[in-house]
Amino acid sequence: MRNLLNFLLKYINLIVFLILEGIALYWLTNGNSYHNSTVVRAVQGVTRGLDERINNVSTYLNLREINSDLASENSELKNRLEKLNQKGDPDFITVDDSLFRQQFQYTSARVINNSVNKQKNYFTLDKGSLQGIKVDMAVTNGKDAVGVIVGCSGNFSVAISLLNLDFRLSARLRSNGYFGSLSWDGRNYRYAVLNEVPQHISVNVGDTIETTGFSAVFPEGIELGRVSDLKKSGSDFYKITVELFADFKKLQYVNVIGNLKRTERLELENQFQ
Amino acid sequence: MINSILKYGLAIILLILFQILVLNNIQFSGFVNPYVYIMIILLIPSVTPAWLVLIVSFLTGLSIDLFSGSPGMHASATLIAGFARPLVLRIISPRDGYESGSSLSMAAYGFRWFITYAATIVLIHHTTLFFLEVFRFTDFFRTIFRILMSSLFTLCFILLIEYYRKRR
Repeated sequence: MRNLLNFLLKYINLIVFLILEGIALYWLTNGNSYHNSTVVRAVQGVTRGLDERINNVSTYLNLREINSDLASENSELKNRLEKLNQKGDPDFITVDDSLFRQQFQYTSARVINNSVNKQKNYFTLDKGSLQGIKVDMAVTNGKDAVGVIVGCSGNFSVAISLLNLDFRLSARLRSNGYFGSLSWDGRNYRYAVLNEVPQHISVNVGDTIETTGFSAVFPEGIELGRVSDLKKSGSDFYKITVELFADFKKLQYVNVIGNLKRTERLELENQFQ
Repeated sequence: MINSILKYGLAIILLILFQILVLNNIQFSGFVNPYVYIMIILLIPSVTPAWLVLIVSFLTGLSIDLFSGSPGMHASATLIAGFARPLVLRIISPRDGYESGSSLSMAAYGFRWFITYAATIVLIHHTTLFFLEVFRFTDFFRTIFRILMSSLFTLCFILLIEYYRKRR
């Protein structure tokens, strides 16, 4: 007993170190699901509140730019509405069912915490499950895809940013429809990489890259960026560098897109896998 | 004794607040992320028992983790820095050893000693942190570059704060 105590006293530093490091590494390797324990969630409630305060100040400073963005988006939507109105044919019966053929629903949210300088970036939105946000909804910045919701609490939700090494998105070339997988290589926050596009097709610098809608998360045809550089690597695929349209450094207001037919589609697809 | 604990506690709170309110919000090119909170580990008085240093480092890393939403990364990196601290102190100890009353500052042991001490601890901490962040060895040299750049900036901040403390 005495020997044991002596032993413990002698190596107390090493033991404390190993125990604490074990806790930290355990948390690190299991922490990808973002909030798992109640303690973490409670503390994060407090830190989110703080984030929101900080963000209130910076949002105020950028009001002018947000206003002009909203105005331009507004006028674009008005134009689109004008076009739709002209097509209206009075002979058809109007259907008042709001779910009739509607596949996607949109809501807006404010980004209250964001980063671009880590390797695994996430951002936080000021709406959560109480406002109808759910996991696996798509997040866009006006017209450009920026991320996917990965976790919600009552009033906040966390989205995995496109600028995250773990993020993969099915994307295609608008010109010819060939698709590949878009990911971020962790270098520059303005550029991402599109892989798995075969070499026998022609790709030009400046071609637009958009989402495919294969994953039932993003609607089809949301813009991502334009080809800025392409390399033929040794394999049969291009390595295409994509300049992203969305500037993640000034992400402030985003749209969250929910797919109303997602469950139905996944249920059907799961029967065959 | 009580006085110095109070002063040290205040320094911890100020450094953590500086890190989460100011430095975490600076998004500068992805290569430069200074983590000045590591100064908490540097400043712990030399008489403190090693297990207490470890607990302080763990709690420091934990609070930074909670505020920047990274699971356990800062905690484990800071813990390794805290574990290496006694070793570093022994290797670079000045000729007359450490005085028990004084803090480990530039004012007490001089510029050269302090910069060796700070640079070693900062490098240990940043190396662990950035490799835990990417969690892979591809792009090895880019990670090394990020480590060096960020360490440089962290060190600059630490020296600025230290000069300010020395002047007072």
